[in-house]
Amino acid sequence: MAVTVGEYDNTFETPGKRAPLVVGDHDFASVTEAVCNVNERPMREMPLIWYVLFGIAVALTGVLFGSIGYLFLTGVGVWGVKNPAGWGFAIINFVFWVGIGHAGTLISAILFLFRQTWRTAINRFAEAMTIFAVICALIFPGIHVGRVWVVYWMLPLPNQMAMWPQFRSPLLWDVFAVNTYFTVSLLFWYVGLIPDLATLRDRASGFRKWAYGLFALGWTGAARHWHRYERAYLILAALSTPLVLSVHSVVSFDFAVSQVPGWHTTIFPPYFVAGAIFSGFAMVLTLAIPTRALFNMKDIITLRHIENMNKIILLTGTLVGYAYAMEFFIAWYGQNPNEKFIFIARAFGPYAWAYWTMISCNVIFPQLFWFKAIRTNIAITFVISLLVNVGMWFERYVIVITSLSQDFLPSSWDYYWPTTLDWLTFIGSFGLFFTLFLLFIRFLPMIAIAEIKGVMPQARAGHDQADGGH
Amino acid sequence: MPSLTESESGRKTYWRSLNELGQTPEFRKFLESEFPNLAREMSGASRRRFLQIMGASFALAGAAGCRWPKENITPYARRPQNRTPGVPVHYATASEREGVATGLLVRSYDGRPIKVEGNPLHPDSLGGAGSLEQAAILELYDPDRSTQARQRTGQGATARPTEAALAALRAAVNAQRSTGARLAILSEASGSLILAEARDRLMAACPQARWFEYEPLSRDNARGGTRMATGRPLRPHTNFDQADVIVSFDEDFLHQHPAASANTRRYAAHRTADDGTMNRHYQIESTYSLTGANADHRYAEKPSDVPIRLLQLAAALHAAHVRLPADLVAQLGDLPEAPAYIKEIAGDLHQHAGHAAILVGPRQAPAAHAVAVALNAALGGEVVTYTAEGDPQRGSHMDNIRTLAGLLERGEVDTVVILGGNPVYTAPADLDFGAKLAKAGLSVHLSLFDDETSARCTWHVPAAHYLERWDIVRGWDGTASIGQPLIAPLYGGLTPAELLDRSLGGTADGYTLTRARFNGAFGSDQKKWESALHEGVIAGTAAARVTPTLSGDWSAIVPGARRQAGGEGYELIFAADKLHDGRYANNAWLQELPDPLTKLTWDNAALLSPNTARDLDVRQDDVLAIEVDGRKLSLPAFILPGHADGAITLPLGYGRTAAGGVGDGMGVDTYRLRTSGSPYLATGASVRKTRQTYQLATTQDHHAIESEVGNQEVFDRAPKLIREVSLATYKADPHAVAHLAHSLPLVQPFGDHAFPDKHRWGMTIDLAKCTGCSACVTACQAENNIPVVGKREIIMGREMHWMRIDRYYSTTTDEMQDLADPSKVQVRQQPVTCVQCENAPCEQVCPVAATVHDQEGLNVMVYNRCIGTRYCLNNCPYKVRRFNWFWNHHGPYHPRSDGEWAQQELYEVQKLGFNPEVTVRSRGVMEKCTYCTQRIAAVRIAARNEQREIAEGEIMTACQQACPADAIAFGDLRERTHRVAREQESDRAYVMLEDLNIRPRTKYLAALRNPLHDTPAGGHGGGHDAGHDDHGHEADGHAASHS
Repeated sequence: MAVTVGEYDNTFETPGKRAPLVVGDHDFASVTEAVCNVNERPMREMPLIWYVLFGIAVALTGVLFGSIGYLFLTGVGVWGVKNPAGWGFAIINFVFWVGIGHAGTLISAILFLFRQTWRTAINRFAEAMTIFAVICALIFPGIHVGRVWVVYWMLPLPNQMAMWPQFRSPLLWDVFAVNTYFTVSLLFWYVGLIPDLATLRDRASGFRKWAYGLFALGWTGAARHWHRYERAYLILAALSTPLVLSVHSVVSFDFAVSQVPGWHTTIFPPYFVAGAIFSGFAMVLTLAIPTRALFNMKDIITLRHIENMNKIILLTGTLVGYAYAMEFFIAWYGQNPNEKFIFIARAFGPYAWAYWTMISCNVIFPQLFWFKAIRTNIAITFVISLLVNVGMWFERYVIVITSLSQDFLPSSWDYYWPTTLDWLTFIGSFGLFFTLFLLFIRFLPMIAIAEIKGVMPQARAGHDQADGGH
Repeated sequence: MPSLTESESGRKTYWRSLNELGQTPEFRKFLESEFPNLAREMSGASRRRFLQIMGASFALAGAAGCRWPKENITPYARRPQNRTPGVPVHYATASEREGVATGLLVRSYDGRPIKVEGNPLHPDSLGGAGSLEQAAILELYDPDRSTQARQRTGQGATARPTEAALAALRAAVNAQRSTGARLAILSEASGSLILAEARDRLMAACPQARWFEYEPLSRDNARGGTRMATGRPLRPHTNFDQADVIVSFDEDFLHQHPAASANTRRYAAHRTADDGTMNRHYQIESTYSLTGANADHRYAEKPSDVPIRLLQLAAALHAAHVRLPADLVAQLGDLPEAPAYIKEIAGDLHQHAGHAAILVGPRQAPAAHAVAVALNAALGGEVVTYTAEGDPQRGSHMDNIRTLAGLLERGEVDTVVILGGNPVYTAPADLDFGAKLAKAGLSVHLSLFDDETSARCTWHVPAAHYLERWDIVRGWDGTASIGQPLIAPLYGGLTPAELLDRSLGGTADGYTLTRARFNGAFGSDQKKWESALHEGVIAGTAAARVTPTLSGDWSAIVPGARRQAGGEGYELIFAADKLHDGRYANNAWLQELPDPLTKLTWDNAALLSPNTARDLDVRQDDVLAIEVDGRKLSLPAFILPGHADGAITLPLGYGRTAAGGVGDGMGVDTYRLRTSGSPYLATGASVRKTRQTYQLATTQDHHAIESEVGNQEVFDRAPKLIREVSLATYKADPHAVAHLAHSLPLVQPFGDHAFPDKHRWGMTIDLAKCTGCSACVTACQAENNIPVVGKREIIMGREMHWMRIDRYYSTTTDEMQDLADPSKVQVRQQPVTCVQCENAPCEQVCPVAATVHDQEGLNVMVYNRCIGTRYCLNNCPYKVRRFNWFWNHHGPYHPRSDGEWAQQELYEVQKLGFNPEVTVRSRGVMEKCTYCTQRIAAVRIAARNEQREIAEGEIMTACQQACPADAIAFGDLRERTHRVAREQESDRAYVMLEDLNIRPRTKYLAALRNPLHDTPAGGHGGGHDAGHDDHGHEADGHAASHS
């Protein structure tokens, strides 16, 4: 096994030479060993912190399903939603989790198509994170309806009433967009997993061999397999790319298509997509930084990866900041009095605390990433990634709540307070997310082993220079 | 049929529902022995069968308005004449409150009264019916109503048959035959001819018995005042048809008045300026009344200054050469200097002499009423007229209760019969009536509820609700009406007359008594009886007018009106609100009805002005400690702009302790500060802030959402939403209303939707007529099975009312800071319900097509398709959609539930009150106003079957029918000659939020105000749009791209 060099700074650009994406004295075998070790070590050798986190996460998952059970038994009134604010935490959380789920496909598809080879170190668990985030997201629109027992009426199922869903409703577009996104992301993730599952199968015995073997679909590593695999992967990447842009555009239509002041703005689709990528990368960092430390992955998820992600956060954070500014500009320039008021009220009204939380987390702190010293400082990066997560949640809070609370007729204005149940459900969704993620870390290779080998120098032995000109 | 709930065993039993009761072994035994057949039917929860039995037994009415007087259980095997199951029947009846009847029409389905409407033929209703009348249905089916007689001894309460109570009473009366000196009867005020006759019979049998009449909210001051001025008690009537100038001193003639419905109808008719003129209304008052909210000029004065203003007005009128009695003028010498407005009012009055009225409210001292009589007489004309007021021998209500308390205290009375009312709760605090009542050997309380007074009496006897009894009652103008039962007494309740009759050994039922009395008074002509039943009024029975002759000694009277304030301290005003004197405390519709001004529900609060609040360093929801004459009370503060400074209004009727599951513990009992000496206005109160706070539940102006930018926005936005112009402006520029907001070019890219050959339902709401009384809100609730959600849910902002009255404050100066000046505060009110947009924003966002458009242009809600995404609620700019967050009729926070998990079933008796034409919505669905689609359908089907067109006015929505002001018009917009279509084309018509291009079918007609010295406002018409210029002309063009 290779020696881990700790925090090796591979962020310096040396002209004419590619910075290494895997550091330390790794060869193919040691990479396989390093990644598979997490899956293959006996349970008792899993770090204590994994157990602690898993325990908390499972408990919170219990809280989630307990809250949902109470909700189903009693009614949506257990939440803080009320007359002007028909939507509250459930929709905020939905948009939040869908946003988180953006980084995975972006990394797998768009960065793949753009030949950003550094993605290989993080794509696997970014994709896993996407799947889990979308699972969390999908819970909320399901449970937030008043009569959950007929929620399937949103699906275009043939029925004796000959009733179809109403295709003009953005909520219906949501159903299609998010489900498509989930399906394609899952498929993409699974296809990418097949060679690695085969690796695990080949190293395992007994039940594990059978289980990994089942999902490895008889992968033998034959050239023909590789050929088909590469093609399939490329096609899926091409299919996913528009989805990255479409899913959050459609989610933003929930707001933009309505006529609520503060929602009815044309900037929403690009603004939501930028925000989603922003939050998705922040969540990848939030997960990657502890994970790489915990499981000795610093050689594979290197400082350079982190710095690259920080650059994307800086870019998307700035885009989001621009969108915030543009909303204000249009509210003033458009001279629609209702719209103008809602933006003034966001900044100076009763929800100003939420607005300024959002601004500082999303616009101000990420600007620190202009400095390389901060981009390459793991601790600060981690803190900022957490802040961005908070900020992006508050962005959805500001959009959903402030707009609904103070719309056209002042007689119906009211302040939205979340209830305990709102909080429990929200926190519980993190429980589910982390439960799934911690199980993933334990049972599936968190790094794309086959792919990472392709970006190691050994893979290019003999034609190093020719490839380096890329 | 004896009551279903009588218990022979007499054991102490309490139950909370018929259902529960039906399962008790005692009851089973009783039932099996008495009604073997019924026993089987009563065993399960077979509501249908229960209804059939109930219906068959007592609802076998013959011709309209005539009920089968025999009471037999008959199967429904043969259909009675004129009755088709499921087809509603209307009966005329009359309710009575404080001795004044209101004529009503009640709709009944299969023997169940479901909906109360005003009787258009009744002179005090003219078709309108207020919230209190509308809410009677809920009272009738209240599961907390007393179901049986109870005897209370030292050991507690025991359920007994009513006959046992009557036997005890009979024995006591017999023991005092021909004397009756130790017998006292305390009655509610009543104009009932039947009760009067029973009283006469009782007094004949026991000539020395004492008869007292007490009402906590009495109009005795007017009675006393007219007696002072003319030598006999008179009842003043204001003919608003002839009043061009109305000056009201603390008189809430549009709301807290026995003839409020008729007053509102006539007053409102002169607020629309259809002929270019309208009345001018000055209001001088301390608290902010609904009447004050409608005034053209309103002056907030401390209670002690109100009578001074009246005297100053008298002096000013004298100065304006209005001829007043010389000795009255002589008393007006050294008055303090009058504010400028008094002289202006006097000038206006003088100019309109003969068409002017001065009204004085019931809180004002008798002397003020006396002065008003003189002033009205001096102004001449037929505007204020008088009729004789009841029994001239009767002492004032306050004297009565004081005398009775004295008799009880001294032990001079040992049998007390209390006919209705709740004197233990409502009697002045200084009398300590409850403790004194306990000294009587036998006390019998006849009432709907086993309430505070029942708890202090030895016997409680359940009373019949007015929808269960026969009676002949008199309206405010004296017109007699037959009070006809819609249903047999659910619990064997008795009327006061029946109780007296029984106590004298009689056995006659209410029908016999009523019929006999009718024959005696109006002739035994069967036709006349039938016509009286059918019409709801007995023709030609209005009281004769009395022309008063001034005979008062003004040197004695005027000093009474000049009673000065008690120096230091705050002044207190005891006011009635929607619970009236507290008798409706257990009525959840009324508890949850937002107060027209404060929008408070479920609680009362100390109402005070912003300045007073600042002086006391009090914010909303802070608890105040009020002390007056050594009596202390703590209650939350509510800041009401426009309230007079230095005074505090304390609404009565809350804080009941034995009202029932709904009313108990709601609010604070302000009777505890009310003394027999100063029952309406108290002075010298000390008020301080405590450290406690209390969360009040309002349906508007939620405290947490308030912010500086928001408040300014509300102030600026309100004039565009609730439009109002002055009369002069309107006359100078008929399009002034349209100019109040810039309209944008509205494009319909795909053309207008045609509604070919179909009705196009539409509505107009005339804000010039609307007073904001909220009768429509309750009417809508009753008609459409709208649930009550409870205080916690109101705080959560989840009221379910389909109709609401939006209320915004504005100022006469259009400066927001003047909200602190009580006399400059104005109120704008607007009923809002679904406006049935043709381009409905709710429809396109529903993912399951649960809200769609029908061919007649209605935006309909398909409850059983709705999955409850609430997207429609978000996208509705009027926020008129209401969501069922729980099983609302018995949700966890419903006032009758007691815990988060309580998904209790409704009591069977509650289910009787639902309108069978309207779906009772389940948890998780959206609902909203449907323009009463069930009423439309009923008429449409009938018209189609009869192959005729639907006539104008044939379909009335519930809100329209209830509206005392006739402010709401509804009908087919295709019929250009119909009122609704004409009004939609009116110059005053406007569409709220027109620039959203959602094309509502409801239009509003702008309100008018008619201030003195009115000049046309230039430019934009209103002249009161402070925030307007910020938006600018050039900028508004851009807003089009948004809409």
